[in-house]
Amino acid sequence: MSEATPAQLAPYVAGGAFMLAFIFGAVGNRTNFCTMGAVSDWINMGDLGRMRMWLLAIAVAVLGSSGLQLAGVVELSKSIYTGPNFTWLSYLVGGFLFGVGMTLGSGCGSKTLIRLGAGNLKSLVVYVFLGIAAYMTLRGLFGAFRVGVLEKVAMTLPVAQDLPSLLGLNRAFLAAMIGGALLVFVYVNKEFRASFDYSLGGIVTGLVVVGGWYVSGSIGHLAEDPNTLQEVFVATNTGRMESFSFVSPLAFTLEYLMFWTDKSKIITYGIASAAGVVAGSAAYALATRTFRWEGFRDAEDTANHVVGGVLMGFGGITALGCTVGQGITGVSTLALGSILTFAAIVAGSAAAMKYQAWRIEREG
Amino acid sequence: MNFDKELDARGLNCPLPILRAKKALNEMQSGQVLRIVATDPGSVKDFEAFCKQTGNVLLSHAAADREFTFYMKRK
Repeated sequence: MSEATPAQLAPYVAGGAFMLAFIFGAVGNRTNFCTMGAVSDWINMGDLGRMRMWLLAIAVAVLGSSGLQLAGVVELSKSIYTGPNFTWLSYLVGGFLFGVGMTLGSGCGSKTLIRLGAGNLKSLVVYVFLGIAAYMTLRGLFGAFRVGVLEKVAMTLPVAQDLPSLLGLNRAFLAAMIGGALLVFVYVNKEFRASFDYSLGGIVTGLVVVGGWYVSGSIGHLAEDPNTLQEVFVATNTGRMESFSFVSPLAFTLEYLMFWTDKSKIITYGIASAAGVVAGSAAYALATRTFRWEGFRDAEDTANHVVGGVLMGFGGITALGCTVGQGITGVSTLALGSILTFAAIVAGSAAAMKYQAWRIEREG
Repeated sequence: MNFDKELDARGLNCPLPILRAKKALNEMQSGQVLRIVATDPGSVKDFEAFCKQTGNVLLSHAAADREFTFYMKRK
């Protein structure tokens, strides 16, 4: 692969991302994997089953990603998550707003794609508004606020922000401790152990993230691009090593469709992954005859989903990721900002659910 | 099946059907039956988990014409 060019590798990267995302979409549909649902089950009925599924995905991703790193297959510090610029306000504000948005919008970015594949037309509207808001936060009006206000409040750490660097501890030891503790918490529960779908959803999602690192960080990595003599991660939108995240890829998918004739635009890892989730979910729904069209109930339902999409687009870019992008992929690098964002997303989602419950109680 | 109250959750997605069901059940007496009609495919697993956690009894659920109908007895 060392003599390959980026153009030769790009189809393998996009194809690998699509296949992994296809599996995630199908399994997510089957197992009802949903990070917002995990918070809802916890807050509204005291059930931690789906929260354990999410934590299992994190455990598998932490152990697997650290394994790839220790084996020298990938270098996690070449992702976007572990740099020393600790934009704590962005993590908190972005994460919280993303959490609010995913509650209003019937699910996070990945769940939007899974629902869309299963025939939910509300999710198509969320997709579009999330994508536009994300693009506006990357390069437009919201981006001026993100960069000019939120990202000004930051700390420059003396080392990278991943826990092994911050604490001066061995990555293998920390990954084993964190991953092991999560596995114990997850499987100590009898009902979780008895459910095949819980384990399937958590393990497959975690493995998909690990596989994603391999595709971008190994297959798609050129230590020296023959054209520029620079290191390159092929077919990525960030220019860094990527795994799964479902905010900016939705924006770049819209961009790709709108600039179709611009030959400089290619199907990137992120674009392929967003399409893969929709395709995988649709394949599962059609195969099991569970595909069904769903639409909006009324004006309030429409408004909630539009606002939810916008909040997820803004929040997800500001916080550098979503429930999968930061909540699993980012946490798998053991980055402090990812852990902070994870907590902020859960807090935002829980707060929005309390607001919804309060509103329903007031309806009389 | 006879029921005492009906909840129309058609067009709503998680977590709203659960939140509305909680409110409806709070306004009912023990032993009364709530009929819920929903369109979210995820509502089946949601209401199964809800009943398991809260002690309310899911008497039956059925799917027809793209709708899911649940009968739930208040604990």
